[in-house]
Amino acid sequence: MSDTQTLERAYRRILSCYPRSFRADSEDEILAVLLATAADGQTRVGPGEAWDLIRGALRMRLWPAAPRPRTVRAAVALMLAGAAAELAGLITVLVTASSVHAAVAARYPAATQATTVHYVFVLAGLPVAIGLWLWLAWANGRGEDWARMISAACFGLLTLSVLSSLSQHAATYAPASMMAA
Amino acid sequence: MQEATFLILTALADGAQHGYGIIMDVQQISGGRVKLRAGTLYTALDRLRADRLIAVDREEVVEGRLRRYYRLTPEGTKVLAAEAARLQANAAVALTRLRPGLAGGLA
Repeated sequence: MSDTQTLERAYRRILSCYPRSFRADSEDEILAVLLATAADGQTRVGPGEAWDLIRGALRMRLWPAAPRPRTVRAAVALMLAGAAAELAGLITVLVTASSVHAAVAARYPAATQATTVHYVFVLAGLPVAIGLWLWLAWANGRGEDWARMISAACFGLLTLSVLSSLSQHAATYAPASMMAA
Repeated sequence: MQEATFLILTALADGAQHGYGIIMDVQQISGGRVKLRAGTLYTALDRLRADRLIAVDREEVVEGRLRRYYRLTPEGTKVLAAEAARLQANAAVALTRLRPGLAGGLA
């Protein structure tokens, strides 16, 4: 194998870190530039070059260069905030679970089973919700049209669920946590 | 705007160039100070294309290898002109303040 072929294979190994769409479009082109700028007889990728290529791949993967209007960027930020809020909720539920449960049991002995069921639902639901927001943020960031519709639907459902829980359950949580404190 | 981006747009200001041509030109424009590496160049080109500041002008195959030429779009020309004017204005102020004797003052 000639020096050029050895070097080309080494470059291609690093270029495999790049997003598939970029490689389909530009791999041969960037490879030509890499080989043109390589020193005579070079068979290995230098550390500086390797770092530059890997950094480029990371940038493209973390901040895809799709043209994103300001409204979409704002929506993506809000979805990430949504995921963070759900995570905070999950931590709160985990930390306060035993005290809330004890308080509810003390006041309404008959309600213990219902609270446990509700607790399990919340515990199972929150990670799903976090995953959903992250997935929607990712998809919207890529400018997928279907993602916008799903986000709108999720937002509607979420608003309804918050309104309904405010009208029914929230009043129960407040005295329970006050008694626990 | 990062300096590398500014220099890439400047390299394309008077005509289309391919990737290797841009690297050589940027080195010359910057007096040998900026040597773009391929990863940096193509990350910037990817972004500039997505932002529609540059576009593919034409493609050629030279010695079995793809060569793609890029050119400034009208939007890219506008952005580069605005950035150049901004840098020039800042530089003018800096130079003026460094030579108070020549520039005089308000007092």
